[in-house]
Amino acid sequence: MGKAFDPGLIFDFIPTLAKFLDITLVILFFSILFGIMLGIATAMLRLFRIPVLRQLAAIYISFIRGTPIIIQLFLVYYGLPALLNLFGIDLSRIDALYFVIVTYSLSNGAVFAEIIRSAISAIDQGQTEAAYTIGMTRRQNFFRIIFPQAARIAFPNMANSVIGSLKDTSLAFTIGVMDMMGRGETLIASSAHALEVYIALSVIYYVVVIVLEKGFKLYEKRLNRYQPEELAAVEGGIPVGH
Amino acid sequence: MAIDFAFIWTAFKEILKAVPLTLLLAFTPIIAGFLIGLAVTMIRTYNTKFLAPAANFYVSFFRGTPAILHIMLIYFGLPMLLEEMPINLNQVPIALFVIIALSLTAGAYLSEIIRSGIASVSKGEIEAAYTVGMHTFQVLKRIILPQALAQSVPNFTNIVIGFLHTTSIAFLVSQTEVTGAANIVAAQNLKYLEAFIAAGIIYWVITLIIEALSSVIERKAKAYSRTAI
Repeated sequence: MGKAFDPGLIFDFIPTLAKFLDITLVILFFSILFGIMLGIATAMLRLFRIPVLRQLAAIYISFIRGTPIIIQLFLVYYGLPALLNLFGIDLSRIDALYFVIVTYSLSNGAVFAEIIRSAISAIDQGQTEAAYTIGMTRRQNFFRIIFPQAARIAFPNMANSVIGSLKDTSLAFTIGVMDMMGRGETLIASSAHALEVYIALSVIYYVVVIVLEKGFKLYEKRLNRYQPEELAAVEGGIPVGH
Repeated sequence: MAIDFAFIWTAFKEILKAVPLTLLLAFTPIIAGFLIGLAVTMIRTYNTKFLAPAANFYVSFFRGTPAILHIMLIYFGLPMLLEEMPINLNQVPIALFVIIALSLTAGAYLSEIIRSGIASVSKGEIEAAYTVGMHTFQVLKRIILPQALAQSVPNFTNIVIGFLHTTSIAFLVSQTEVTGAANIVAAQNLKYLEAFIAAGIIYWVITLIIEALSSVIERKAKAYSRTAI
């Protein structure tokens, strides 16, 4: 089980591991970016009730919500090369990092699609009617009326998913990505101080999450600046039911 | 490489045997976590001295770090804490470490859900309950908790499904739950894709069952609000 516990090592490990934070953040950034694009597209399919594609979107969302991220990761890792092989594309030399980004983008896409859809359907029909009566075009109505209001509703849930996604990136090392966790595994192999490594990793993740949370809170305040006091005070995060 | 569809079925039957362990690893932590969450919520709501800051840190730390680290910290840390005790830790099943770790994780998440449920009960109802002479425990048991819990059903379902999925990382500490079993079947036959498709289907079906149950429970739990309006 390794050597005796040495708290001093935790401080030695933190800078070593933090150097690999950029990989974690790269995965997070691209999977959020592609996830938002995929989420908007998927939400539109459902909102505009496009036949066939709408059902496919529902199955996609249900599957992502119904399976663990690690299974999705393995399915993409083993499935994507097999799939593209049919078209004569060889993926065997591609870095595992790309598979991770694909998986997390697909996963975020499904989650964001639901958040975006429910935020847009939460906007009252009257808002659109009012926008049309004062002569706005469909485009103006969407960008000036619907989108800003939907963004305010969606933001706390999006922020939560981003934080969830950051924590999920800790599983990328299972397919061999050298992120913080991957580096941690090698550090354990070389130092035999598993507990210290895991404590150091916890500290880093915790700090990143706190920084993100603080940033999101500030931005949420900004989004809510036109709201009456008491409504703005409703805590974001967990969706308020009825 | 073509997909061997027949093997998906073979793997499916093999992996199905691991479902009880997955359910055990998911539901024991939720039950234990619910009790932890309840206690933590009470400490935070009533702002108990000394305990409240500790409870706040507990919730924020466990919500701010990945569950895999909780499992690893307990797996490596607990034996170190218990070194002096007359327990032979080699005899303790690893599943127990996983359950302890996930219970702590569940406690942090559930305490937030219970707290938001309690916050949704209007203050007027609590005051009304006091005016008819109920004491704090009665107010809690008869007024706050039934409404707070009914309110929390959708969030609670998300947690149950989340934990069902979180158990998949237990395979990293060599548990043969669904993902672990899939990994074994896959490695033995060198058919990874097929095995993980089978595992994916199993998780998906369990999730759909939980979602269906939850919508029934939500209707029952919220029955009071329908008759009231």
